[in-house]
Amino acid sequence: MSDKPGFLRRALDGLYFASGVAAALCLIAILLLIVAQMVARWTGEIFPGAPNYAGYMMAAASFLAFAAALNGGAHIRVSILLNAVPEKIKWALEVWCFGIATATIAYFVYYAYWFVYWSWRFNEVSQAQDATPLWIPQSVMVVGGGILLIAFLDNLISVLFKGNHRIGDNTVDQSFGE
Amino acid sequence: MTEVYAIILFLFVLFMLLGTGVWVGVALMGVAWVGMELFTTRPVGDVMVTTIWATSSSWTLTALPLFIWMGEILYRTRLSEDMFRGLSPWLARLPGGLVHTNIVGCTVFAAVSGSSAATLTTVGKMSIPELRARKYPEHIVIGTLAGAATLGLMIPPSLALIVYGVAVNQSITELFFAGVFPGLVLALMFMGYVAAYSVLSKGWQPTLETAMSFGEKLKNSRFLIPVILLIMVVIGSMYTGTATATEAAAIGVIGSLLLAASQGSLNWGSFRESLMGATRTSAMIMLILAGAAFLKLSMGFTGLPRALADGIGALDLTRFQLLMMLLVFYIVLGMFLDGISSVVLTMAVVEPMVVEAGIDLIWFGIFVIVVVEMAQITPPIGFNLFVLQGMTGHEMGYIAKAALPMFMIMVLMCFVLIWFPDLAMWLPETMRSTPGG
Amino acid sequence: ETWDMPMAYSGSNFHSVTGAEFAQCVTTGTGGDIEIVTHPGGSLFAGADIKRAIQTGQVQIGERLLSGHQNEDALFGFDSIPFLVGSFDEHDMLWQAAEGPIRELLESQNLHLLYSVPWPPQGLYFNQEVNSVADMEGIRFRSYNNATNRLAELTGMLPVTIEAAEISQAFATGVASSMVSSGATGYDRRVWESLSHFYEVDAWLPRNYIMVNAEVWEGTSEANQNVINGCAELAEYAGTWRAREYTGFTLAGLAAGGMTVEPAGEQLMEELRAIGETMTAEWLEAAGEEGQAIIDAYREAAAATAE
Ligand code: NA
Ligand code: NA
Repeated sequence: MSDKPGFLRRALDGLYFASGVAAALCLIAILLLIVAQMVARWTGEIFPGAPNYAGYMMAAASFLAFAAALNGGAHIRVSILLNAVPEKIKWALEVWCFGIATATIAYFVYYAYWFVYWSWRFNEVSQAQDATPLWIPQSVMVVGGGILLIAFLDNLISVLFKGNHRIGDNTVDQSFGE
Repeated sequence: MTEVYAIILFLFVLFMLLGTGVWVGVALMGVAWVGMELFTTRPVGDVMVTTIWATSSSWTLTALPLFIWMGEILYRTRLSEDMFRGLSPWLARLPGGLVHTNIVGCTVFAAVSGSSAATLTTVGKMSIPELRARKYPEHIVIGTLAGAATLGLMIPPSLALIVYGVAVNQSITELFFAGVFPGLVLALMFMGYVAAYSVLSKGWQPTLETAMSFGEKLKNSRFLIPVILLIMVVIGSMYTGTATATEAAAIGVIGSLLLAASQGSLNWGSFRESLMGATRTSAMIMLILAGAAFLKLSMGFTGLPRALADGIGALDLTRFQLLMMLLVFYIVLGMFLDGISSVVLTMAVVEPMVVEAGIDLIWFGIFVIVVVEMAQITPPIGFNLFVLQGMTGHEMGYIAKAALPMFMIMVLMCFVLIWFPDLAMWLPETMRSTPGG
Repeated sequence: ETWDMPMAYSGSNFHSVTGAEFAQCVTTGTGGDIEIVTHPGGSLFAGADIKRAIQTGQVQIGERLLSGHQNEDALFGFDSIPFLVGSFDEHDMLWQAAEGPIRELLESQNLHLLYSVPWPPQGLYFNQEVNSVADMEGIRFRSYNNATNRLAELTGMLPVTIEAAEISQAFATGVASSMVSSGATGYDRRVWESLSHFYEVDAWLPRNYIMVNAEVWEGTSEANQNVINGCAELAEYAGTWRAREYTGFTLAGLAAGGMTVEPAGEQLMEELRAIGETMTAEWLEAAGEEGQAIIDAYREAAAATAE
């Protein structure tokens, strides 16, 4: 195998990176929405639905960043056992972990897809002032969940055939959560 | 009997998934799924998606990524150097000397950061080398830093309080203000310990500072102006009602960006790093919250939380006994789990118990925060220990031992809170009832 | 068979108490055939998600404030048109006119209506005396949806968006100094610490609806359906009675807290009625013929009573 990453590898890494950037943009959007709402209130104006738009951006920022956070090693796991056992058992444990995660997220994405489909079919709209058709923000959940699923699967295959996953170690991101 | 089986099953699956290293958020989803499949006939997948969507698109939670972002920006500024320069002239002559810069620095930074570990890294990157150069006992330097940094969780803003507030549906602004005085008291207790130790210890022989005139001290204090302004804007905006907790977070981000720009530490690289770091960290928390929301729902369907609350109620524990039980429970849990996970994981069961016992949920939030703070410095899993390990190169065991006195002080703090509940409740209650601010 | 029944409001709220009694009645009445377990306080699903959860069979039964779904169908907002009714009795007449169409609308959404109970009437809170709409000019008014925005606009008040959880703080700090809400909200949030006047204008009485998934309902034996219907009737009666009782209790509580609690003056009431006309007409634009039918039937009944 050559050192140069293949097309699929580059495409996948590009996908994780792009969704991470999109998530970051959603975070900026949250900031702008909240500032706009504040300014509106101070000046006696109203910005109907601002909290709801911020909420949709919150969901988008989370789901689109899940895969990037996974590959960046930001998601928390209890690794006492993983670090204590011999290589072979560790490998089996990693297969188990990535297997469970892939199955769980696949299950979620499948039902999320139908959830959004029915929102669209029922023409479900937000109950708040924004009155947004809900399938629009909800489909970001499916897209982000799908990318997370791809990332878990990607790593599972890597563990199975190359012996190790591709996740970095990032205690900084984890610890800054609290 | 079904309840007993349900409890055993939930615990078994939970420990199996968490223990083998499945990511916390995914593990919670897995447990919830097993519980619902076994104990209800409801369509599990639909329920899962409904509740995860509702949780992740919540407006209240938007404060979370913003406060994380704010900490990331400030970490990349000169704030910690400035704080050391501004604080040290005032603290150098106290018994305990410059070790107090650790504690006061953490207290001040805690008022602009929502995170304990971010407080630790920001303050520590300056104070550790300075204190080492002056030959203060290493274990005191490390221990006080590990302990005092946890004030980042108690003094507002606080990520853990946002998560708790969302979990139990209480006003985040009120929770924030409830944390102010307990945080200050805890800081004073840390300082008292350092002072007492320095007087009693024979090995305490740090290099003394050259005395500074009062005028010089005042002049050096100008370095504190930016951070004090930032604190006043963030906390003041909440206290005067100009902004909600979420809006204060937005104000904080803008304030930090301005501060960074005025110091020349804001460039494209640092902006991008701070933003991406905040995005990843908040995604990490959100995955846990998503899993916890589904687990809460699953347990709700099984009726377990109510059965447990009734069971505990039937034991006829006094409030004090219940709190002692929870204290021990959370200390044990906190050894193995991070604070946010242990809060969201248990709240579905603990909230009904606490409400049943007539305990105020705002007060209980502060109680839980002290316990979560302890979890930061108890081995084998404690984030402040990890961070300090990376910063100082010491063994985990050494750091944990150095932090043990701080752990004991926090245990004492739990009792202080029980004896003087007004410490937490006075400020939010006053705020609730002051017409015109 | 166990039916899970999510309810959005806290266990001590009178709606939740009524729901718990209804559940008990059904469980006993069907001899345990159908056991209804209530989950109050949004412990299962939050209010906004309950309707869809019943529709899609995630739960069998549940309670929801349907006027929250006006964006979906304007008809659901019939009980929240400001100043259309002016008392409990008038509201009863409005409900009688609307029950048929609402029932039909719900059936078309895979929902079977069992019973519904009104909230205490909505009144106006201020921190000053107000005798006319002109007095309201420029007051910062808490708004939370399109109707309250419009109300602010028509009365010349400044709308400020404030989430329910932040109400106490908003009043304490003067971010807002007026709202339209039931006596219960003000009582629960101890608003007398910041506000001084409550005007019993009975602006509207929104209702909570207890609905069961239509397929689940069709799959229920006739005997059990009869039991459930009987329990529902009792619950609706008991709940409505509680709403009236509770109104008196909370208003007394507001007064004991030091607030002036009184009906609005004649001039103010007249001006508010005129605003009610405007807002009814605006609602009818969205609600169309079905809405018109409800309003016509209500006005006819009201005129007949007045004679
Ligand atoms: Na803090
Ligand atoms: Na720990």
